[in-house]
Amino acid sequence: MVDAARQPLIEIKAFTDVEKVEGFVGNFKVTLREKAKYVRADRCNGCNACSLACPVEVPNYFEMNLSSRKAAYVPMSQSVPLIYTIDMDACIHCYKCVEACGSLQAIDFGMQDKVTEEDIGAIVVATGFSHFDPTPMMEYGYGHFPNVITAMEMERLNNSAGPTRGSLIRPSDNVKPKRLAIINCVGSRDKRYIQSCSNFCCMYAIKNALLLKQAIPDIDISIYYIDIRTPSKGYEEFYDRAREAGIKFVQGRPAEITEDPETHQLFIKSEDITLGRVVEHEYDMVMLNQAAIPQPDQNHMSSVLNVAQSPGGWFMEYHPKLRPMDSPTDGIFFAGACQGPKDIPASVAQGSAAAARASRILHSDTWQIEPTVAVVWPDRCVSGKGQACGICDRACPYGAINYEKGSAAEVVTAKCHGCGACVGECPHDAVTQLHFTDAQVLSQIRTLLAVEPEKKILAFRCQWCSYGGADLAGTSHFEYSANERGLRVMCSARMDADLIFEAFRLGAGAILYSGCHPQDCHYITGQVAGAKRASRLEKMFERMGMSPGRFRTEWISAAEGDKYARVINEMQATLDEIPMEELKSEIERLKPEMEKKLSKLNQIPGVEEALIQVDFIVNEMLGKAVSA
Amino acid sequence: MSQTNPESLAERVKAIPGGEMLMMCFSCGTCTSKCMIQEKLEPNYNPRRLIREAVFNYKEEAFADETTWLCSACDLCYPACPQKIHISGVITVIKQLAVAEGKQTPYQTAKVDEATCVACGLCVSVCPYEAISLVEKKVAFRGLIPVASVDPGKCMACGMCSAACRSTSIRLTEDFNDQQLIEDLWTWLERKTI
Repeated sequence: MVDAARQPLIEIKAFTDVEKVEGFVGNFKVTLREKAKYVRADRCNGCNACSLACPVEVPNYFEMNLSSRKAAYVPMSQSVPLIYTIDMDACIHCYKCVEACGSLQAIDFGMQDKVTEEDIGAIVVATGFSHFDPTPMMEYGYGHFPNVITAMEMERLNNSAGPTRGSLIRPSDNVKPKRLAIINCVGSRDKRYIQSCSNFCCMYAIKNALLLKQAIPDIDISIYYIDIRTPSKGYEEFYDRAREAGIKFVQGRPAEITEDPETHQLFIKSEDITLGRVVEHEYDMVMLNQAAIPQPDQNHMSSVLNVAQSPGGWFMEYHPKLRPMDSPTDGIFFAGACQGPKDIPASVAQGSAAAARASRILHSDTWQIEPTVAVVWPDRCVSGKGQACGICDRACPYGAINYEKGSAAEVVTAKCHGCGACVGECPHDAVTQLHFTDAQVLSQIRTLLAVEPEKKILAFRCQWCSYGGADLAGTSHFEYSANERGLRVMCSARMDADLIFEAFRLGAGAILYSGCHPQDCHYITGQVAGAKRASRLEKMFERMGMSPGRFRTEWISAAEGDKYARVINEMQATLDEIPMEELKSEIERLKPEMEKKLSKLNQIPGVEEALIQVDFIVNEMLGKAVSA
Repeated sequence: MSQTNPESLAERVKAIPGGEMLMMCFSCGTCTSKCMIQEKLEPNYNPRRLIREAVFNYKEEAFADETTWLCSACDLCYPACPQKIHISGVITVIKQLAVAEGKQTPYQTAKVDEATCVACGLCVSVCPYEAISLVEKKVAFRGLIPVASVDPGKCMACGMCSAACRSTSIRLTEDFNDQQLIEDLWTWLERKTI
């Protein structure tokens, strides 16, 4: 941090909130609110005189409230930049600090928040993580038993700059503990609280145990665990060292901690899995190794930055394996635990990768984006004809469409990510998506359904999840019906109702409408638009009297190859149950209704020509196949 | 996809409602250390071990395990389980399978005196484990009549039915019959000090 502060090209904006992020890659407009510190940064030299003079003491949040600080303070002595702040919630306006500051005249009670707008090329988000509060876990008694502490409290108690100057004492009677227990997985790997594994706590427990063993050689330390996870290079050796040093590892998650109310001694009851027996041990002090959770304001940041969140609340990366440091929004990158719990080596690696990615943007004059962007035909857009519409604007998850009544909608190409939600939603077919134009997708549908359409299962798959799922089903050799015909679009939001109608008009036996699970959507809320449309279509087909199961909606992730195979096989089974004659007559019966819905299809630019060409090619191929 | 033997104990447990979550157990041992029966009654009682026995198809061991027969479904372990497994549900399923294979509980269950049962259905309505039902049965000297019948796979020997029965036709067999309890009561009442 000190190094960063010395670099002339790095500007640290401490105590500053990001209020608004607008624009796009290379051209972000970021609104920053620099909160008033009531101390002038250009005059404060960090001499501590104001803090010494201040008569107000409040709990020190940085020390986990184990000690106090003044109303004029810095969080810690190594703070960068070393500029004091007056805490206005605590200040009693005695102005003793002003006197103490003297001729420096750094303290300015009239200071206001400063809101500025800056031009930013790329953004790296490194907002870190927070800790699970174990208070709701009544069985561990945190908050009731003074000697049950959290990992962060232990961190401060064992820190040479901490409230006890580095000597570990137990809070009830300030005596050095002789027996210490560390409980892992407090809140994590627990479906009642945080379902996921917090990644680094096993190593953190071992590190703390070794540090404490060095500081207090005769201390008896036990680590309670469900599994010890030491997967990285050198980690297992570290675990070996801990066992050599005499740290005991107890497999088994403790069911409860009880306390002797007079001596405040703690008793941990757990099943020792390796012994297969319930054991109860006495300890002077217990450290709860809590789960890592997203920052409390992660949801707010996610909406400010317009980046999606993964199921646990962490920021969602573009691709979990190939682009873990990129956000789905170009020009915004993630470093460290804001994207998921990480230890230091992984955070450093991701941070360096994010910096390299960001510098690539800063050093280029132009920027390449995916070519699958949306385009508006201005003459077809009803907004240009004076009607109020704006459906595309509301559908766009990225705010990439400029809609104003009276002029045709416009797509900001640099902001467009190519999900096709606007294309799928536009009731006038005035928007199209390059590489996935209506003409192109309809041509594919017509080709796939050229022969015996009533036997086919047409599967609309989204590029990121269900297409990957189908791919996995193939590479894993999961067998599924050979009557399935897959069709790739970028997102379930692109699966236009017209495409479904056309496929049924052509006589498709069954149609699968598939995409990501809502939390996995690569286009923030694309799946939501797709899901809404699918449920609308389901109801419509039910009203029309279509056999149930011919139109099916399923959300399949890229990891669910077995689910994809199962869904297709189930659909084949439903199709097999309908007698062929009945199915054919149903298709004929519904044809006029589908045609009614599709009356304007041929007016979409390019569609008619494309379909004539497809029909010609297909007929020619079929003719050859028959003659051969 | 892996081929599983539908005849294995794990698959049979999973197929019955209550046993679906069997495979989610990651053996943390919280249930065992939370259990009152383990603490007060039977030190060898261990739901975690029973689940392992079921997962690895140690059928005879599972059916002979004390855990199978002693669980009272108090559900102290259910809110403590980090995997949200309804453990007493899994144990009940294993017990039902054991009974279906003709295994008998080594502990007592309620017994019906078919000579006096009038099939009023009171015991059926009070049983918290839904272990009692009315069945048509041929009874000596009474012919084909409906009588109460106890499912030993579900009965936990709590004694609710015995207390509710108006004709003392259903009772626990060994230590907790009416006579024994009345004697106990008198002993308590006659004691000078408490």
